Amino acid sequence: MWKTILRRVLIMIPQLILLSILVFILAKMMPGDPFTGLITPQTDPAQIAHLKAAAGLNDPWWTQYFHWVVNMFHGDLGQSYTYKRAVTGLIGERAVNTFWLALLTVVISYGIAIPFGVIAGRYEDTLRDKSIQLYTFVLLAMPSFVFYLFGLVVFGYVLQWFPTSGYVSLNADPGTIGYWGSRLYHMILPALVGGLVSTSGTIQYLRAGVIDNTNEDFVRTARSKGVPERVVFNRHILRNSLLPIAAFLGNSITGLLGGSIYVETIFSYQGMGQLFVSSITANDYSVITALTLLFGFLTLLGNLLSDIIMSIVDPRVRVE
Amino acid sequence: MSKKSILGSVTMVAALTVLLAACGSKSNSSSSSSSSTKQQTFPLATTNKKAAVKGATLNIAVVDDSPFKGVFNEELYDDAYDADFMTPAAESLFGTTSGFKFNDKGAASIKFDNDKKTATIEIKKNVKWSDGKPVTAKDIEYAYEIVANKDTSTSRYTGSLQNIEGLSEYHDGKSKTISGVEMPDGADGQKVILHFKQMKPGFTQSGNGYFLESAAPYHYLKSVPFKKLASSDQVRKSPLFFGPYVMSKIVPGQSVAYTANKYYWKGEPKTKKLTASVVSTSSIVSGLKNKKYDIAMEMPTDNYSSYKNVKGYKILGKEDLSYTYIGFHVGKWDAKKGVNVMDKNAKMNNKSLRQAMSYALNLDEINNKFYPGLRSTGTTLIPPVFKEFHDSSLKGYPLNIKKANKLLDDAGYKKGKDGYRTDPNGKKLTIRFASMAGGDSATAIAQDYIQQWKKIGLRVKLTSGRLLEFQNFYDKIQNDTNDYDVFQAAWSLSSEPSPADLFSEQAPYNFSRFVSKKHNKLIADIDSEASLNADHRKKAFYAWQKWMMDQDYVEPVQYRTNVTPVSNRVKNFTIQWGSSPWNEVELTAKD
Repeated sequence: MWKTILRRVLIMIPQLILLSILVFILAKMMPGDPFTGLITPQTDPAQIAHLKAAAGLNDPWWTQYFHWVVNMFHGDLGQSYTYKRAVTGLIGERAVNTFWLALLTVVISYGIAIPFGVIAGRYEDTLRDKSIQLYTFVLLAMPSFVFYLFGLVVFGYVLQWFPTSGYVSLNADPGTIGYWGSRLYHMILPALVGGLVSTSGTIQYLRAGVIDNTNEDFVRTARSKGVPERVVFNRHILRNSLLPIAAFLGNSITGLLGGSIYVETIFSYQGMGQLFVSSITANDYSVITALTLLFGFLTLLGNLLSDIIMSIVDPRVRVE
Repeated sequence: MSKKSILGSVTMVAALTVLLAACGSKSNSSSSSSSSTKQQTFPLATTNKKAAVKGATLNIAVVDDSPFKGVFNEELYDDAYDADFMTPAAESLFGTTSGFKFNDKGAASIKFDNDKKTATIEIKKNVKWSDGKPVTAKDIEYAYEIVANKDTSTSRYTGSLQNIEGLSEYHDGKSKTISGVEMPDGADGQKVILHFKQMKPGFTQSGNGYFLESAAPYHYLKSVPFKKLASSDQVRKSPLFFGPYVMSKIVPGQSVAYTANKYYWKGEPKTKKLTASVVSTSSIVSGLKNKKYDIAMEMPTDNYSSYKNVKGYKILGKEDLSYTYIGFHVGKWDAKKGVNVMDKNAKMNNKSLRQAMSYALNLDEINNKFYPGLRSTGTTLIPPVFKEFHDSSLKGYPLNIKKANKLLDDAGYKKGKDGYRTDPNGKKLTIRFASMAGGDSATAIAQDYIQQWKKIGLRVKLTSGRLLEFQNFYDKIQNDTNDYDVFQAAWSLSSEPSPADLFSEQAPYNFSRFVSKKHNKLIADIDSEASLNADHRKKAFYAWQKWMMDQDYVEPVQYRTNVTPVSNRVKNFTIQWGSSPWNEVELTAKD
């Protein structure tokens, strides 16, 4: 087991190096640069050209890449061109926001999806199942941003139960309990709608798993041996039905840090998704490369986590 | 995003000019333009007459889909939205009229001496930073040092500013001070004399770019090295200004709380608390319907119909300092020599063809359909907001298919059997049109243009077969890639409308790349010594506009109106160019 993990971690190193080179080249291949379009009658093209040269953007990519790697090992990911501040600080700030929102979203999502999926599967074709099915189809059919907007308008603007934008109240002072309370309060609505939207997939998987497993031979055997129904369901059916969801868990934990561009934009919640998209449209190279590398690392880590989780819950996939 | 960026740069200048504001809030209306589209007339100010209440907080929404950048320094910010957040706190040094001329009503006055080639700036006695320290000559000098110092790496260091004596020497590190910024009464005095290499006719007009219109608190910022200024707490967390409000609390990227500046030189503002927050374009209309905000800045116009009748609000509007234009590409930029070079054989280098293409467009219909009341068809390259310089006798190129066909027939563009014209040499003619993506209507408008051009027998195709994303578009236009003949773009203008930076032979921004001896003369005359005389300058502007419209290398297609929804409980607020309503604004209901 530990050997496997170590091997996987070691493989990640060349993967990440390759990824960083690829990302670096692709970012440079995009038309324009951070200074393209910074044109008003008051900006002087000569000064723009000068700034571009000073930022090293006229050097060949391998020179730029080399500088970037050297700086990275000194903990310096460069300066954001649009935000005019250090990339590490910028990403750090956003990552914290995204992490807490994502965590709450996952808790809400699985908190709702698992019982719903189990109920739907266990009581197949009853009214309960059909209602849950209806719920998942409506959610699946509706574009997610429409659902977010709907949530925002109803609970934010009309009922005014929750704040409508931002991640913390202006009146809260950092470090106080009120500050964290305010942050939680700002997170509830986006997390709730985000969580609800992501329940439908999980519910469907779980329901299908429960139904399939109910008809498996080992379940029939258990039943015929007179194993109590509660044990049959919890040990045999549920545990096996959770496998595909467990396989996703690792990725959904790390994928969370990628943030959601829709939720973040609609709720004006500052997170990683928005930062990533805006950095691409603005050709903010230093932010693009740092984020892509981070996301790449998280994906690899997510796969590893998934495998570890799988080997814990499913003895069949354990590798020696 | 692309559209937004362009709008972003438009509003940047708009916001800048609000910053350069003076007192006096007249409530007259913006005039509609002279073209045939009806640009609606909006009020410029609130008319609320009710009694004000005490203790209410005024809430501003800044409509944007990204967090603000947070560079709260007038010398360093690049982003229009940062300027919006600064408006209640940062005030320009000089007062201006609604026609963008400097007057004496601001925190400092400016007087020019054409013989000595100087400008004398005098700060009023009671002008203080919000920490109570007086604004001094050193603070004005420091603003120049911030912009000119190499370490701040700001895009605001320009060729125009280098007209100040000694500025480039300071920038290059050859001199420790800027010789052209003189402080006759010492650093703590209130007088600064700027020495110029050359006097320019644009000096009297705000936004001219030849000198700064801001001061920076030296005593507060001096401990921060220039290199770290833009990322410092003194700029991002607790910036210092001398305007009516203090940015008392900043939640990075999200919102700002303001309190009244008790040292404000015109007296403490009447409303004690303001807040401003970023609100997404998708939720602002709901926000207005539920009365969450009192003033909405940067309101998008694509969805105007969804909020134009929103209850409890009044929509204020004014003509924007911008226009959309179609450029005909006739040459390229020679970076080595620093000049535009016209290509005699360029496809578009035919006046009849250009004029025909302009006559073929049904701009009135587009403006009325997509932006009812908010856009009008362009008639000259100086928009009507510049009342002094705009030539209203010019009518542009109103729709006239017959005339367009005749122009092409006479110029030898013969129609083939397929209904498309060949060029005068009898060769197949395909015109490539580069247009930017963005907004809900961009595709429909580009398709409409192409259809109209087809009506006069011109085969026009989109460059790359689709609309171009902002970066991609400007990458092509700035580098003269060989895959477009016609393009549509927009300019935001500074409040000094000299066209030299946009259209002269030496201007990299002259994206059409046209050059003409006659034009060189006309454009030079606008900024010549003779134009120090206002009448001469006006005539020079008129002559230039006439020539430009006739040659039609650049066809103005659209003027814009900026709208600002303001809640009915707001009193004494105005968006008039040159006005600064913030110390007067009041609320007449608790919520």
